[in-house]
Amino acid sequence: MQGFIKTLFGDTSTLAVTAGAIFAAVLVLHSPVPALAGAVLPLGLLAGAAYLARR
Amino acid sequence: MIAAVITTFLTASVEWVEAYTIILAVALSIGWRRALGAAATALVVLALLTGIGSFALTRIGDFAILQLIIGVFLTLFGVRWLGKAVARGAGLKKLHDEDVAFASLRASKAINEARAAWFIAFNGMLLEGLEVWLIVVALGVQTHHTLAAAGAAILALIVVAAAGALARKPLSHVPENTIKFVVGAGILSFGTFWVLESLGYHWPLGDVTLLALFGFYGLGGLLLVRLYTPKTAKAGVI
Repeated sequence: MQGFIKTLFGDTSTLAVTAGAIFAAVLVLHSPVPALAGAVLPLGLLAGAAYLARR
Repeated sequence: MIAAVITTFLTASVEWVEAYTIILAVALSIGWRRALGAAATALVVLALLTGIGSFALTRIGDFAILQLIIGVFLTLFGVRWLGKAVARGAGLKKLHDEDVAFASLRASKAINEARAAWFIAFNGMLLEGLEVWLIVVALGVQTHHTLAAAGAAILALIVVAAAGALARKPLSHVPENTIKFVVGAGILSFGTFWVLESLGYHWPLGDVTLLALFGFYGLGGLLLVRLYTPKTAKAGVI
């Protein structure tokens, strides 16, 4: 069961960086410049991968 | 569809190679018949999970919600694999070595006890297969090609099994980190695309955006490897 949950969600750091990137993209999507959301999410996720690699 | 099939095949190849190492180590203790029996039992469980997962997802009537759920799971998976591949490529973490994993398993006490060894093989196959299951269900349901995705995973299993039967030793020459890097970038591209689309974002280039995202994550990942590699060492994702 633990393996199943880890496969689906990863660890807390993975959840946190993914949630953070998606949240930032949602904020931009509802701002006056929604087109930028297409850049914010990939940049946020790459930054997340960078953080996970260093951790 | 082709991108989904290739991604599934590559993901499954990496996981089956790791599972093969475990099955091989167990088979040398309790025999091939019992070790393969444990692996086959795990595969039956995975096939059942695939059926249940696909059925549950296709029951979701709202396409945007389905897309968001699948997109989030793929994003979680992709960011984890890309991060791990970057860390290993830069030398921040040790590369996964099948020979070392095999030797460590063979040295464990549990592997010499028939029932414990059977469970090691069953658990190993099931845990490695769960990641394959996630990709088959997520990419399959979203692209409406679950059978093709499942076929790609089975083809990868056949290829790894054939290679294993020929080699009769851990498949340590498979460039696992390179494959993980490519798959991580690919899955993250699918996840990013579907998460934002489900939230109402219109990608200006349509489906072609997937290629652009793949290029972005691939080049970005390589840049991170270079950045994180100590100046005295050599960067080596590929």
